[in-house]
This record gives sequence, structure tokens and C-alpha cells, in this order.
Amino acid sequence: MNPVEVNALSKTFETKEGPLFRKVPRTVVAVDGISFNVPEGEIFGLLGPNGAGKTTTIKMLCTLITPTSGDAHVAGFSVAKEQQKVRANLGVMLTGERTLYWKLTGRENLEYFAALYHMDPSYAKNRIEDLLTLVGLKEREDMLVENYSTGMRIRLSFAKALLNEAPVLLFDEPTASLDPQSSRLIRDIIRDLKKGGHAIILTTHNMEEADMLSDRVAIIDHGKIVSLGPPSELKQKVKSSDVIEIEGRNLTDETANSLQSFSEVSKAAYSTEAGEKGLLRIHVEKGKEILPKILEFLVRKQATITKVNFIEPTLEDVFIAQTGRSLRD
Amino acid sequence: MRTRSGLKATFGALAAIFWKAIKHYTRYPGGFVIYLIMPFLFSILIFGMGQFVGGGNAASNFAVRTGTTNFVVYEILGSAVWMTSWVVVEDVGVALRDEQMKGTLEQNFLAPISRFTLLVGMSLADVVITSVIFLVVVGATMAVVLPSGFLNIFQAFLTLLIGLVPMFGIGFLFAGFVIKFKEPYVFTQLINLIFATLTGTYYPVTFLPYWVQFMSGVLPQTYVIEDMRRIVLADQTLVSLYGSVFILLTLALAYPVIGYAIFRQLERRASVTGEFSKY
Repeated sequence: MNPVEVNALSKTFETKEGPLFRKVPRTVVAVDGISFNVPEGEIFGLLGPNGAGKTTTIKMLCTLITPTSGDAHVAGFSVAKEQQKVRANLGVMLTGERTLYWKLTGRENLEYFAALYHMDPSYAKNRIEDLLTLVGLKEREDMLVENYSTGMRIRLSFAKALLNEAPVLLFDEPTASLDPQSSRLIRDIIRDLKKGGHAIILTTHNMEEADMLSDRVAIIDHGKIVSLGPPSELKQKVKSSDVIEIEGRNLTDETANSLQSFSEVSKAAYSTEAGEKGLLRIHVEKGKEILPKILEFLVRKQATITKVNFIEPTLEDVFIAQTGRSLRD
Repeated sequence: MRTRSGLKATFGALAAIFWKAIKHYTRYPGGFVIYLIMPFLFSILIFGMGQFVGGGNAASNFAVRTGTTNFVVYEILGSAVWMTSWVVVEDVGVALRDEQMKGTLEQNFLAPISRFTLLVGMSLADVVITSVIFLVVVGATMAVVLPSGFLNIFQAFLTLLIGLVPMFGIGFLFAGFVIKFKEPYVFTQLINLIFATLTGTYYPVTFLPYWVQFMSGVLPQTYVIEDMRRIVLADQTLVSLYGSVFILLTLALAYPVIGYAIFRQLERRASVTGEFSKY
């Protein structure tokens, strides 16, 4: 049996929306019958835009949310029926820096959670020493977390997830808000954990990170897995097209939709960039031949082009090919 | 990994939750200081209103209706128990919501401990906090106003300890409501005012309409306040108050069971609706 087995897992939320006394019930399908397995020593990436269902999936796996249907097993235990055993076999890092007690020191936070995981105190003491050293916080262990920088808090939160040496690790956006140096540190540790045989699930909307770390990636959109496989294999599927990236002003979703009327364009997606700039990512046949026609069209639409690149397909292009939208939306 | 199991593991987790709460109290001392001051402020408020309404007959009217002339101790005992109940409802009921808003609630719920352990750990810290509040507030008052009855404080304190158990049950109940409905302060402020009104905090419950007295009768604070006044002001003992103590012990069994059952029900519902991460 694999450390993680997910079978037709679904989650539907019933909400009420609208003004007071006129609220209308609404059903939101957050996760829609997904299935996947994660064997020992694999990093499994869950990639998708915000609201795709990644975090809901993670929260069902760690028993914080009860599935509507289907089931998942962690280390052989059902998330619906054997929640305590699932928790004992999981190390979880949820998004954000506010997952720690700010009025406790870094060491006190880890000692507190070690006790909640029933760790033997003398063993926990050594484990905490090792983890604080690993994430580079040994020097600041007795400082209140409120005085930590964002990066330090995230590293401490990461250390907390490793405390109980669980066979299955869930990391929800582990490098979000981290500086490049800290991100690299966390990625290196994740790779080492994989070598140690841990089954690791990683959610991210950073496709470079998913590409770099994951052995397999599930691209998730509107609660469904739209593609699943090793990153290289997924990218191979879109390699038959050229990918043109055009940066500029006055580019919109509508521009991307209009470009799809070109017979040579298979997909076009728009995403916003910093400032007023936008980014079009266009999948085309014979890119070099069609490019002048595309540029002429964009100029006619009063767009100002600042950069044009032919690029190697990335996981974002896999997502665009599947959904027609950018991951960054 | 070396782990502990059974009772050793549970006590280890309880101790960790207890110390975490105590550290938070010592590192946010403002709240604790307020809890020490408020019983005196509320008592002064009631005293002022009594003087205003009763005029020159205020003291004699008070003695006729309460059986004691020592209105300071009478009011302070009521205030101190009310403050204790306030701390319990705030700390057990609101603490989970506070943790939910900070993002730490999910971290606790991810650990392989029962929700009961979590609630009891928080309650244990409150036993210490409320004990200190009671002993400082009542002790200081007695030392100044009624030194001869100082030794009676310890029996009164024992009454408080028994009364704390059902109060924690009420706290568990509110912890569930707060997870479900959010808006913790709406609930706790309302309930704290209801408790002050119904439990004889500043006047005997016998002055309330009969049907209201029935509600007072199911609240543990009513018995704690009444028994304490009898012990401190009328030199009675816990043994002589056995009937009232028996009711208090019965409530001490019933409230935690009912409170926890409702908490679990609402907490399970929150797990279905995904409430834990909603702010």
C-alpha cells in the first residue's frame, strides 16, 4: 500500500450568499472526485491557480475538513474514519506565518507541539536542536516569534512540520513569501526528505518550483485533476506547439480570446504583470511565420508591445493547453 | 521517533497546553491586571447605586434583605465569583476563536490529541488564574474589612474549586458556539451579563421572580456565591451546606458532559463546513 492513496475524493461546500433575509443557497464544488497515489520517496506536486482546490485537498488529507464523498488513506489509515492515526503519521505545514504562537519563543513553539505529538521529552529536546540548526534558527531559538522576520517564521513553521518524523509530509506553499536563499534551503531539505523515503505532497502555484522539485505533478483546476504525470512528460505533450510570450500594455483577456480566432493559434492566455503590463502566452503552429500577423493584430488593438520571446514550454503551458487560462489568474 | 503513550502522553500534552496558556498570561499581563481590578470597580458601582436609591436607609435595608451588614464582603464575593466565571467563559469559549483567528487552532487540531485534552489543558490554566484572582481580590478585602473571618476564605475557595468544574462545562459549550457562529464577544458579553443578573452576584436571587429563580437554580455560580457568603459572613461550613454542595457536585458532573457533547457536535459540523479556517 502506498503511504498516500486518494480515491474519488470530493468536497462540496453549501454556502448562502446575498443580502440579509434574501440569502440564496449555493453549492460550491471545491474538489471533484480526484484520485492519486503517492509512493514512498516521491515528491508529488499539486499545481493550480488560487481556488483550484489544492488547499481543500490538503485539508481533507490532514483531517481538518471532512470529505463529502470518497476517501483517502494516509499510512494506511482512513482520513474519514481513523483521524487520530492519520494525524500521528502526518507532518503538515499550512500556508502562512501565523501558524505559530508569537508570544512564545521559537524553541517553546517546537516544545509545545512536540508534547502534542506525544514525543518523549529528552528525544524531543535533541530533535528540536537538530531542526533549529537545520532551518538556521539555532541562534534565535530563544527569541519571541513576534520578533522573527517573515522568512524566519516560515522556516520555523517548516521545522514544526518535521518534528514528529512522519512518513507523510504535506507542504502547502512552503516557499511562499520566502527570499531566494531561504527558498533554496527549504527546497534542499525537501529533496533530502525524499531521499529519506518520505512521501511528500507539495502544493504550489509556483510552476518553476513544482517543475524543479516534483517527481510527478497533478495539475488541478476547478477541483479536478486535468493532467497528471512527471513534469517532463507533461511538457512533452505541448512541445509540438511553439510558445510565444508577449509582454506589453493594453493587453487583456479579450485580446487573448480574439487571438484564438487565428487558425494557427491553439491556445492563448492572459495574465497580469507588475504595473500596467500584461502578459500573453500563445501556443501556435509555426510560430515564426505567424508572429508578424499576431503583432500586427495587437498593434491594431492599440497594444504597446515591450517584449516578445519564444520560450520552452513550462508547466504553465500544460495548464494553458488544458484549460485555456493562465495559472497566474 | 521515541514517543510516550497512554496516560503519560495525555499528561504530557496537558502540561504543555497548561504552560503555554500560563506563558501567554504572563506575556500579556494587561488582561490579568484588569481581572483583578474589575471586581472592585463593579462593587463600587453597585454600592453607589445602592446609596443613591436607598438614601439614608440603604445600609439597614441591605442588612434586612441579606442578613448581613457587611456589604463590602457581600458584594466582593459576588464580584469575585462573577469574574471567575467571566475568565472561564472568555478563556475556554473565546480562546479557541482567538486561536482560529491567529491560525494556530488548525495546528492544534492537526496533532494526534483529543479535543477534550485540548479543552481540559486550557481549563487547568484557568484554575490557576482564577484561583489567584479570587485569593487576591477576596483575600485583600477580608484582610482589611473582616480580618476575623480570614480563615474562612479557604473553605470558600474550596467551594469555588468545586464550582469551577461546571463552569468549565459551560465554557466548553461556548467554545462550540463560537466555532460555529464566530462573533465570540457577542456571546460572551451577553452571557456574562446574564450570569451577573441571574446568579445573585450583587443581590439575593430570592428577589428575582419565581420563574427566573428556576434559571438561577441551574447555574453553578448561584450556589458558589450563596455558599461562600454563608461560609464567610455567617460562619457556616461546607458540611452544614451539604444540600447545596450536593447540587453543585451534580452540576459538576452534568455540565462538562453536556458541554463537551455539544462542543463535539458543533466541531464535527465545522469540519464538514470547513469553518476552522474561516475568519
